[in-house]
Amino acid sequence: MSPDILSFIIFLPALVAFALMITTKDVNTIRNIAFLTTTVILALVLKIYIEFIPSDGMQFVTNVPWIETYGINYYVGLDGFSLTILMMIAILIPTSYLLLWEGRTKGYWLNMLLVQTGVTGTLLSLDIVLFYFFWEVMLLPVFLMIGSYGFGKKVFTTIKVTVYTMVGSLLMFVAILYLGVAYHNEFGVWSFAYNELMRITTIEYSTKVWLFLGFLAAFAIKIPIFPLHTWIMETYKNAPTGAVFLLSSIMAKLGVYAIVRFMIPIFPEIYIEFSAYFVAIGLFGLVYFGIAALMQDDIKRMFAYSSASHLSFIAAGIFSLNEYGINGALYLIIAHAIATGALFLLVGLIHEETDFKSIKDLGGIAKQAPILTFIFAIMLFANVGLPGTNGFVSELLIIFGIYEFNHTLGYISAITVIVGASYMLWMFQRAILQDRPEGSPTLIMRDLKIKEIIGLAPWVVLVFLMGIYPEIFIDKFEPTVTHYLNDILHIGASK
Amino acid sequence: MSEFIYLIPAITILVGALTLMFMSMYEKYTVKNFITVSCIFLFIALGFSSLSFTDLYSVKPYSDLLNNVLIFDTFSNFFNILLILGTILTLLIGEHYFQHRSYFKGEFFSILLFALFGMMLLSHTNELITAYIALEIASFSVYIMVGYNTEDSKRVEAIFKYLVLGSFIGAFYLLGVVLVYGATATTNLSELGTYISTHSGDDMILVYIGLTLILFTFLFKIAAFPFQSWVLDVYRGAPMVITAYMASTFKIAIFSFFMRAFLQDLAPIIDFWDTIISVIIVLTLVFGTYLAVNQNIVKRMLAASSIVHTGYLLLAFIALSYKDGELLNIDSAYATMFYLIAYLLSALGAFGLASHIISETNVRVTYNDFKGLAHERPFLAAMMTIFLFSLAGIPSTIGFIGKFYVFTEAINAGYVSLAILAIIATIVSVYYYFKLIAMMYFYPAPSTCSIEGFNDKRVSTYAIAFVAILTILGGVGSAIVFFIPILNIDTLIALSQTAVQSLFIK
Repeated sequence: MSPDILSFIIFLPALVAFALMITTKDVNTIRNIAFLTTTVILALVLKIYIEFIPSDGMQFVTNVPWIETYGINYYVGLDGFSLTILMMIAILIPTSYLLLWEGRTKGYWLNMLLVQTGVTGTLLSLDIVLFYFFWEVMLLPVFLMIGSYGFGKKVFTTIKVTVYTMVGSLLMFVAILYLGVAYHNEFGVWSFAYNELMRITTIEYSTKVWLFLGFLAAFAIKIPIFPLHTWIMETYKNAPTGAVFLLSSIMAKLGVYAIVRFMIPIFPEIYIEFSAYFVAIGLFGLVYFGIAALMQDDIKRMFAYSSASHLSFIAAGIFSLNEYGINGALYLIIAHAIATGALFLLVGLIHEETDFKSIKDLGGIAKQAPILTFIFAIMLFANVGLPGTNGFVSELLIIFGIYEFNHTLGYISAITVIVGASYMLWMFQRAILQDRPEGSPTLIMRDLKIKEIIGLAPWVVLVFLMGIYPEIFIDKFEPTVTHYLNDILHIGASK
Repeated sequence: MSEFIYLIPAITILVGALTLMFMSMYEKYTVKNFITVSCIFLFIALGFSSLSFTDLYSVKPYSDLLNNVLIFDTFSNFFNILLILGTILTLLIGEHYFQHRSYFKGEFFSILLFALFGMMLLSHTNELITAYIALEIASFSVYIMVGYNTEDSKRVEAIFKYLVLGSFIGAFYLLGVVLVYGATATTNLSELGTYISTHSGDDMILVYIGLTLILFTFLFKIAAFPFQSWVLDVYRGAPMVITAYMASTFKIAIFSFFMRAFLQDLAPIIDFWDTIISVIIVLTLVFGTYLAVNQNIVKRMLAASSIVHTGYLLLAFIALSYKDGELLNIDSAYATMFYLIAYLLSALGAFGLASHIISETNVRVTYNDFKGLAHERPFLAAMMTIFLFSLAGIPSTIGFIGKFYVFTEAINAGYVSLAILAIIATIVSVYYYFKLIAMMYFYPAPSTCSIEGFNDKRVSTYAIAFVAILTILGGVGSAIVFFIPILNIDTLIALSQTAVQSLFIK
């Protein structure tokens, strides 16, 4: 298989989107072709997954000049990290299509396709300017989706989320340019490839801290890490289900991924030095967002906080400087994407069918829609980390990792998980299980349709498969993590 | 005869302008005829300019007759092509607008070509007085065109503000020339360059003062703070198409002369103005952003944002410096030229599209007037989005690549804090550009303003689509779009490199 397969995966959705844009106006055709495209991509990604050799470094590399004057290359490739997340994206998107089947307009599906190009491109770029290119481009379709198909004060929300994320991105942009100039001054040629930028030695320590923070601004806003989270509440509440799904399940994870891909190799010593702060901030975020989630009445806002809480936990794992923590964080990225993705889609469905979105208005769904309740429960348990689910494995690994890093923080992290369990289960009890009080307006909820069950079935299987046999997944990315710890950070894999 | 070939493009334009003037005496010609004739002359000029645009040359033809005041090199040729292209696109995009405004008569097109002739001359000129004449030919033509908008009461304010302030700053220019002449006894740039490189200390005081006054003219014409006060009202009062022309093409012409002067001859003292210009950049960025955020009329918003873009351009300009007999950071000259191309395309597209939309109506073009455009005319809305993305510097458009170069060069030259300020201005610009996109996409059309049966199949639409395609191609380049070998980003840079090198041929 030629290495161009990655470029094919990246650009196929965009090409299909443009072709559909000018050829047809029929929503059903567009939706079916879009779905077909994503399944083709899933097949290709599976093929890559099988052909991938864990012990090798970058694979399927394409590296051709893009802007030669400044040494910017079209440089894509994948290693253990990106493979795992690529797999996650490839599975999540087509199945989410089945649940978003109701998207009624042409623009909705075209934007979904364009987003896929954006996120895959972001994931696979190894040249940092190319990465920035996709990082910005992937936001634009979501911007259009929120503004066109959102609820409430959607225009204000759209502008707010765009400007907010743009602030981070542009700060990162300055840092990128500064790195490029520093490389040019040191080596006499231009290059923006991440493995070249790693070789820079001339930047002073204090400057490096600023550059590190510049990068962090972009990623921390996207993830979001406390205190840069203020955009998510409104956005998750007012955005259409598809956009919320994309933002929380996929783009937030890309923020974490980008920290691992670019920030750690380029600034290893700052990463090590600041790790204690970030673990602490991560844990604080976990508790803070958890308590905030506990107090929410709007179900989408509650999930927004819950999502932020988990992502803080992932961030804490990433900064824990050892194999357990980083493996666990990567594992939780996938586990959380599956569980939260499913929950957001189910909540979106409930909202669409019943028109209620606050927890106190809901209730009694369990009796009317048993299959939905069943799947909802599985995803909920995966989310809170019940043994046997993938959430358990990943949370356990992260807690181990943080314990290795610092015993006190380890104990704290173990306790904080309870917060997550409490708000989730309390919500489940009130919104789904509990019977409706006398005299409240009637609520009619249909059960899942066959195609929705088919769409969710692989996710359910994955939840348990990943919970019971984690090795088959961890084996694919563990060598990369070991390589990172040994060769880049020089702190040893089994500290 | 071989020298004559370099003169052909400028002479073609002059002949074209005169032809149009004679044509306008007859009633029988329609606006369409005038556009066609102008385009024929413009395309001939473009053809002759493109003959030699990859060669590296520099000639001063007929030196006994012209006395070395005009110089013909790759640099001027590069700018000539841009200027002619800008004029052609202005004409084609404005086709719709011209036909629906009764005040556009034949002589308008003649004046347009005279303006172009002045600008082309400006890019060739190698002497301060000639530069003033060329500048005034172009400026006076533009003054007249600004006043064409007889349907708008604001035009009187626009033309008077522009005329008075423009003449005032012209006096500054002349005073500067006099001071320079007093010190050096020459107005020829090459001889001035020789004087500068051989003198220092007290001999230079008058030269510095004189050149600073000349620099003020430059800053006035490109609307840098504190010389920006005319921009909003003039852009607002001028016919939409002329606003597009002024914002894009005229700015390029100004840059062509001043870049030649600074790179070719004034290089040894180029660092003298660094402090002044960095203060001006800060004020330009801050004030331009402040103005742009507060506008409600789209035309004024675009005008105010053009002030911010001037700030970016100056940022690349300041990155040039001189040490030990050679220019450092010569790359930033390429960055300036690339940014000029990027801004030409996106500003022309944005202003032109706005003029196209309002051609058949008489609205003021506030943000509200754009509501629901995406539902009524999705392709025009998509193209407007492309131009606004490009102006805001979003990746996948040429504006991003332009910003990339400018900021990289600014950081490379050590102006990190200015680059960060420019980035902050960019962040804010996202707000006011995206607000317009939000208007087009997220609101239903107001019922009073629906334009049914709008004919989209006309020259203007195709011209705008062409500019939009160029904007995208310039941002994506040929590495990702493998099947299009031309309009490579590297090719554009290579062209500007050749152009700048031709300045140093003695």
